[in-house]
Amino acid sequence: MKRKLQAAAVLLIFGVLKLPLEQRVTHDLRTMHLVDEPLHLGVKGNMGQMGLAAAFGGLRGLIATVFQLRAHVEFTRVNWAQVDKYYGFVTQLQPRNARYWEEASWHMAYNAASYYLYNKELKSGLRGTLYHDYVKRGLDILEEGLKIMPDNPRLWQKLGDLHWNRSKDFKASGDAYLSSFQHGGLNFTERFAGFAYAQANDPDSWAKGYAILKKLYAEKKATPGLIEFLKMLEQNLHIPAAQRIPDAGPVRTIPTPQSGPLRP
Amino acid sequence: MSQASPSSAAASVAPVRFSLRRVWTLAYATMTQLMRMKILPFLLLFCALVAAMGFGFSTINPEQQLSQFKTMSLGVLQVFSIVFGIVATALLLPKDLEDRTLYTILSKPVPRFDYLLGKLLGVLMLIASGLVIIDAVLSLILWLQQSMLFASAVSQLHSENQDSPEAVAQMREIVARQGLTWNLHWAVWAIFLKAAVVTTVALLLSCIASSTLFTIVITFCITIIGHGHAMIREFIFQPNLGSTATRIATFLLAAICPDLAQFDVVDSVANGEIVPWIAVYEMTGIAALYMTVYLFVTHLVFVEKEL
Repeated sequence: MKRKLQAAAVLLIFGVLKLPLEQRVTHDLRTMHLVDEPLHLGVKGNMGQMGLAAAFGGLRGLIATVFQLRAHVEFTRVNWAQVDKYYGFVTQLQPRNARYWEEASWHMAYNAASYYLYNKELKSGLRGTLYHDYVKRGLDILEEGLKIMPDNPRLWQKLGDLHWNRSKDFKASGDAYLSSFQHGGLNFTERFAGFAYAQANDPDSWAKGYAILKKLYAEKKATPGLIEFLKMLEQNLHIPAAQRIPDAGPVRTIPTPQSGPLRP
Repeated sequence: MSQASPSSAAASVAPVRFSLRRVWTLAYATMTQLMRMKILPFLLLFCALVAAMGFGFSTINPEQQLSQFKTMSLGVLQVFSIVFGIVATALLLPKDLEDRTLYTILSKPVPRFDYLLGKLLGVLMLIASGLVIIDAVLSLILWLQQSMLFASAVSQLHSENQDSPEAVAQMREIVARQGLTWNLHWAVWAIFLKAAVVTTVALLLSCIASSTLFTIVITFCITIIGHGHAMIREFIFQPNLGSTATRIATFLLAAICPDLAQFDVVDSVANGEIVPWIAVYEMTGIAALYMTVYLFVTHLVFVEKEL
């Protein structure tokens, strides 16, 4: 009996002493982005038993993958509401996985938006509205992901792509590409920021774009596209002839953004 | 004035020292005993399942396929190691009692602590061997899949005339990050640590309980609570929440159960996060601490147990 009491005492004393240690290790691992915050169920929808398994079984990644596979099945059935719902679960379970935010946004802003835009069974006004709603949903998803991972270059790049390809907000696209580059994104994001600014509607963005593209030109990183946009900006910003680049290239007098997603 | 003879006094008080060799013998015997429980065919089945999963996912992009493969395999591996650790440990003591092996061993000069440690090490060695084999298979499949997916993605970019050096570099970076890296092995190590802690808890409970079913059920409950330990701690450290009785009960729960969520780096590894050395040290250190204390408590319970 004496030993049993000793065992209970050891267990209790250890239990008290371990709490601050566990708190510190958990904090360290969360700071290193290795362990996620606890899952607060019921905040964004009912995940049911799978959610409980994820929360208390240490199987968040596994359950997220299962939900992703379910979302893929719904994608093949063209059931966009369900795709959105399942990706909501997936991003809730794995909020620090940029790929999930990216895929959720891609499904909404590209697949769902295009599906409604080209759906001839719908009235044209409704097609346009649904198209814009789903593009907006895609943008919202990326922005939500960026609130959690504001330093993720990939999400910034995807936001830049989305503004460029879908919402046609070239200033926002330029800002997003530039942010991607500043957070360690690949080199082309800087060039794309310049291209996007060049196609914006305000002179301030043109000036930003010109500064970026001129710098890249000076660093001998010019591509045919870069020369084209640079020459366009020289013309739009009325750069003196002496300061213009010597390269010959096609000159676009006005930005020619596409009017919408095109089909071959 | 009768005194015991020097030889009989020596025989009654001479302590039997801890012997690493004895522990090893017991561990090896435990491992053999468990191997006879048809563990190997199960392991082979698991490897085949992993191999099939590696090539069975529908894909939108290579990164998704690699990530899904890693998440699913590591998740299943985690379940396998925990279930195996709990069930095998829960069966050990009752089986030794039933077969009378326990009496044969303890009637020899074998300290009970050596016996417990040998049993624990036997189970852990088997879990570790299983994880090493599966890790090797997983690494091989991941490497093959990584090479195939990169080649196919580049050829697709080429066919679409999009194979600019930047696009290829981005693809290489994505595939390499999601492919075979050292982080995968750290994830397997974390799975082992979690299984080891759960196994030690199962050993402690099997010394207290008289039924195998009780040990299995309670250990599973502790495993589930252990994954929500951070939430329990949050509750404890929040003032003004809950009644005093609730807070005491929660505190006891937090004190008894280990925090198993500390070993949940698997998801982050599948997402391509880098596991720094400091994280490995911290996880290993806390697992060693849990195991030492729980084993000591097990010894205190077992040493007084009437067999």
